[in-house]
Amino acid sequence: MKKTNPIFLNGVPELLVLRLLSRREMYGYQIIEEIRAQTRETLSFGEGCIYPYLHYLEAEKLVSSRRREVDGRSRNYYKLTPRGGKRLDELTTEWKRVTTGISSLMGEQYA
Amino acid sequence: MPKTDYIEQLRRRLVDLGCPIARVRRLVQEVTDHREDLKQTALAEGLSGVAAEIHADTLLGNPLDLAEGLAEALRRSSWWGRHSIIGFCVLPLLAVPLLWSLIMFVGLWLVFAFGYALDETRLHVAADNPVVFHHMSMLVHGADCLALALVTLLFCWLARRSGLSFKWTAIACAICSIYALFTWINIVPHSLSLGFSFPPHGSSPWIRLAMPLVTVALVYAFQRRTAHCYRESVAA
Repeated sequence: MKKTNPIFLNGVPELLVLRLLSRREMYGYQIIEEIRAQTRETLSFGEGCIYPYLHYLEAEKLVSSRRREVDGRSRNYYKLTPRGGKRLDELTTEWKRVTTGISSLMGEQYA
Repeated sequence: MPKTDYIEQLRRRLVDLGCPIARVRRLVQEVTDHREDLKQTALAEGLSGVAAEIHADTLLGNPLDLAEGLAEALRRSSWWGRHSIIGFCVLPLLAVPLLWSLIMFVGLWLVFAFGYALDETRLHVAADNPVVFHHMSMLVHGADCLALALVTLLFCWLARRSGLSFKWTAIACAICSIYALFTWINIVPHSLSLGFSFPPHGSSPWIRLAMPLVTVALVYAFQRRTAHCYRESVAA
């Protein structure tokens, strides 16, 4: 994520990547573009920084990858594993709990 | 920066940082794909070929910084990479004697099983024969050296696959060497003993000290050669 991301965004990149991969197989560039587009450029990965992250998730067996050719271009596509699905559920639950708590504290006008 | 320069710098830095060659290939392939995607997007937006390449490189950032980030991620992805002090400084102190004893035990048991059909009487009779005993002694000391080399190799392999620098391999190897210097194995007819003593004694303390050092030197030479061959194959 961007260097300016505050500390409370720890764990958010994992949540975002797993969420995107739960929808379909994607490659690195596509993931970065999707995050940028779907968060309306509020959040974005630095170009190239996604790969260490994806490899880390792969080492943890949360995602798997395969080389696939689409429209004449061969790329590494990543997809969610069953273990990654469980991790996504845990992170989603945790995220909801945190945002609910923060919203309660901040009051209605900030929710 | 032309494509070959950017990718080549990235590749060289990853190899220098001690990333396994298979991992380097994959990372370089992915970054090359990504760079091509960025370039195609820039071309679609109306930039010229050269401008699109410059734009892609600017977005990707410094190739050396990118390589550092990729290598760091590789290290973080394994327990050995995350806890290198425990793994390569503390654990060898416990693991070396245990693994060495295990390897020695299995090796000697195999000799006993296949050479003497697990018959203790046959083993005692053989031990009384000076020629056979000489061979047994050679075998025990050979197994001892092999065990030390295998333990060292294990730590070399763990450091390599975690993308750690050679420093960690050297530390683990130094611990193996010190351990080898102060432990000993002794065989006399009808008796085999293992021990620890200070100062070192035994028939071959310096050979035992050298075993991990020679092993790690060979591993280092092999890694250098592999990296060199990889660079040459890419250049070709």
